[in-house]
Formats: sequence, structure tokens, C-alpha cells
Amino acid sequence: MSTPALELQGLTKRYGSFTALQQMDLTIRAGEIFALLGPNGAGKTTMIGSVCGLVKKTAGTIRIFGKDLDQDSVGPRYQVGLVPQEINFDPFFTVAESLRIQQGFYGQQRDEARVDEVLTALNLANKKDALTRALSGGMKRRLLIAKALVHKPRLVFLDEPTAGVDVELRRDLWTYVRKLASEGTTIVLTTHYLEEAEELADRVGIINEGRLLMVEDKTTLLRRFGEKRLVVTFDAPQSAPSDAARRFSARLSENGRTLTYVEREGAAPGGDLLRALYSEGLPIADVETRRSRLEDVLLEVLRGKPQPQVA
Amino acid sequence: MNVLGMQTLFVKEVRRFMRVPGQTVLSPLISTTLYFIVFGYSISSRIHEVAGTPYLHFIVPGLVFLGIANNAFLNSSSSLFITKIQGTVVDLLVAPLGPGELMAGFIGGAMVRGLVVGGLTWAVATLFTGFSLEHAWVAAYFLLVSSYVFSVLGMLAAVWAEKFEQINFFPTFVMLPLTFLGGVFYSVRELPAPWNTISLFNPMVYMVEGLRYGMLGRSMYSPLYGGSILLGVAVVATAVTYFVLRSGYKMKA
Repeated sequence: MSTPALELQGLTKRYGSFTALQQMDLTIRAGEIFALLGPNGAGKTTMIGSVCGLVKKTAGTIRIFGKDLDQDSVGPRYQVGLVPQEINFDPFFTVAESLRIQQGFYGQQRDEARVDEVLTALNLANKKDALTRALSGGMKRRLLIAKALVHKPRLVFLDEPTAGVDVELRRDLWTYVRKLASEGTTIVLTTHYLEEAEELADRVGIINEGRLLMVEDKTTLLRRFGEKRLVVTFDAPQSAPSDAARRFSARLSENGRTLTYVEREGAAPGGDLLRALYSEGLPIADVETRRSRLEDVLLEVLRGKPQPQVA
Repeated sequence: MNVLGMQTLFVKEVRRFMRVPGQTVLSPLISTTLYFIVFGYSISSRIHEVAGTPYLHFIVPGLVFLGIANNAFLNSSSSLFITKIQGTVVDLLVAPLGPGELMAGFIGGAMVRGLVVGGLTWAVATLFTGFSLEHAWVAAYFLLVSSYVFSVLGMLAAVWAEKFEQINFFPTFVMLPLTFLGGVFYSVRELPAPWNTISLFNPMVYMVEGLRYGMLGRSMYSPLYGGSILLGVAVVATAVTYFVLRSGYKMKA
């Protein structure tokens, strides 16, 4: 098994009496896309800051590609790139200069081909010589991403990288993130757009109040906590649930117009209920199905339904 | 050691101040030249000589020092402080740059600005007084050590400051009084007691006097004595700044 990209053991951060991170244990495999989800103030940015050298941890161990930050706090950082949550830019420099500076900070010689490659990937090529202060908000966000990637890091932290950007950039970024991952880059992503995590992540971690509540493979998580809803609308109101509806424990709405069936793992498929309703000759006008999303799972986990489980 | 990272930060710092030369070089040059014209000409009509040196010549080393000290301090303090305010400090903290690399980059850039302004002030002064350089190595040492010490102090102030008001605290309440009590415009020896004794604890006195020795060949103190004191000041300031940066004080959450 290859060396993990990141290993956290008992990572704790306290600000006075407030505990921002509590005994966090987490292993992120090399080459995976890992989404860390949780509400505001859950500890996501504190975790990333502790790894990236922005936050002084109170206790615990951080290893980047097997190297302990307590032993060498600088060396492992050659491998790391960070897209911070807050937009920042140095108004004295152009877009290309900002990227060249970033290459230099990481001990790399000027590589104009790489600068062009990253700018093209993030749709900033036509702004190469523009001063950073002249960029729009979305472009500044793209520049932040370009800066985090220009030195070809093996471990990239994207802390809400698409907050406040348009749909087009979001889609562009997703494509680029997938490309990076296919090339072996490890991505740690925090986002409020759960669609983003659902689209990209291999594994998902859920954090709340500084505690890592669970880490799970995304598809397993969705299957384990996910559900499918089948909503049947009738032409005419029904006075009571039919025999089939009772058999499947489907719920009839108060006005008798809709019947809702929640299909969890192991339950009978919704198609069986539909067939039974048709055979009962009920006046079905419309059928709608909705698979639960990561958002539903997150809410369920945060409400405390599953037991904490850490990988 | 990340030599390329350090070099990049240094070049970035120099480019940063060169992008706004009117503000970073021309403006301090004009104000120091005004000092020279106003103080020099108004006082030299009454004080013709100080310790055998014409008054206009006497104040040149002090004014060169003023240009160096103010600008070296301002460059490192404002540059680092603004990265904190703008949030671009993240780039420095995430990158593989240790305290040594950060110091070399910021201090190097600030020294260049201080020396450029000091050098230009000297060049302007020579138009009025003629060129004088008696001990080139001594002058070079005191130019470098003065710019170094103030660059380091600027960095330290930037680390400590959290508000714009605080970044002005050191130049207003520490540098300005010490500068004016540092013998730029007069000989400290002529101060009445106990001020002449108190002045001996002001490192700026040794900076000004050391430069005076290098440029004019005359000084109140042996340049070796003053140079040693300043070397001590530089070592202490460097050590304090290094450990402050390493601890992450006011730089990391």
C-alpha cells in the first residue's frame, strides 16, 4: 500500500476554552478526492490550516506523505497547494507574475509553459498580463486556484474553491480537478455546494463541532444513508390508503392527492408498489422519483442518526 | 534551505517598491533634501562649524542615515503588514519558506530601498557640499548595518501590529525621538548633562557617528566601538525576529 498523502492522529486545536478540533484521526489516501463536509464553524478550515502551516495545532501528529511536520515543518510543504477560502491578491503584480512568484516560493525555476498551461485550464490566458486588481471576483478566484496548482503539488487543499463563482467556472474546475486526480494528485475539498462533493469525491468525511463524525466511501454512504422517494399523484383524491399502499407502508397526504413511498436499502423496490397500484386500478396522474443526495445524508448525520465512525 | 524561494521573495520586494517609485523613493528623497536645505541653510548661517567641520558637511551623514533608516523600516514593516491585511500572507506561510528565508527576502528588499534613498540623498547633498568619502569600508559597514537593523525592526513591528495605527507606533514614538536625539543635526557631545550620557544608549548615535567617520573622517566615537555595539544590536534584533517568526506569533492562528 502506498504512503498516505495525509495522516492526522489526535489532531486537536483549542482557542482558549473553545475546542475547534478535537482528537481528529484521519487518513487520506494518495490520489483520492476527499470531501470534508460540515456546517460553518465545524473545524474544516482549522484542519486545513493546521496542515498548511496557518494554524498552530495544540496537540496531535500531522504527516504529509509520511513526513511528520513536527520533525520537518518546511520540507513537506513543497508538496502542498492551498486554495484559501478568502480571496486575496497582491495588487502590485500581474496574473503571470503572481504565478511565477509562486513557482519561485516553491523552489522552482521559472516555467512559462506551466504558467500558460494553468492559465489556459482556468480560462485566464487572456488575462495573463493584467494586474490582479483589475480582475473580477470570479477571475480572482480562478487566480487563487492557479496559484495553488502552478507548482504541481501532490496534495491540494481546496477550501470552498467555488464559493461565489459562476456555474461555468464551477464546471471547468470540476473537470480540472478530475484531470488532476487522474494524474495522481490528492485533493482535499471543502465545499458548501454538496453537489460539488457528490460530483467529485471518492470519499466523504463529515465534521461537526470539531469532531470527525464519519468517513465513508461516497457511494457506500449514499447507499447506506440514502433513500429513494416515490411520489404518486392521483387524478382524484383518495379517501384512504389502498391495500397496496398499506402493504408498502406508503403515506397518503392529508388531501388524498399524493402517496409517498420511501425506499431504503433492503426495502421493496418502488416499481413493485407502482405495479400494485396500477393493478388496483387507481387513477394515477403522475409519478415522481427522487434519490436522496449528499445533502440529505449530511443533514441526517448532523442530526445524529448514525453512530460516529472514523476511518 | 529554499534559496530560490528566498531569492524570489527578495526580487518581489524590490519590484514592489519599484512599482511605485514616486511614493517609495522620490517622496522620501524630497523630504530628506528639504531637511538639508531648510536645516542646513538656516542653521549654518549661525553655526558655521561643528568640531572643525562646516555645518552643511556635518549634517550630510545624518541625513543619509535618516533616508536609510526611515525607508528600510517603512519597506519591511508596510510590506509584511499589508500581506497580513490583504491575506496574501497565506502564500508565504503555506510555501516552504522558513523564518530564515522570510527574513532574508523582506530584509534584503528593505535594505535595498533604504540604501537607494540614502544613496540618492547623498548624491543630492554632493551638489551642495561636494563629494567626501574618507573611509569607504567604514562608510559601507555603517550604511549596511543601519539599513539592516531598521529592516529587521520593521519586520518585527509588522509581525506585532494588528492595526494600521499600531504600525505607525514605532516610527512615531520610538524612531522619531531617537533620530532627533541621535546627533543628526548637532554633535551629541554638545548636549547638556545628563542628555549627553543618555545619548550613549541611543544606537542611532553610533550609526550617525560611524557614517560621519566613513564620509568625513571625523567622529566622536571610535568606529570600532560604535560598529561593535551595532553588531550586537543587529544580532539581538535578528535572533528576536527569528524566534518570533518561528513561534508563529501573530502570524498563525
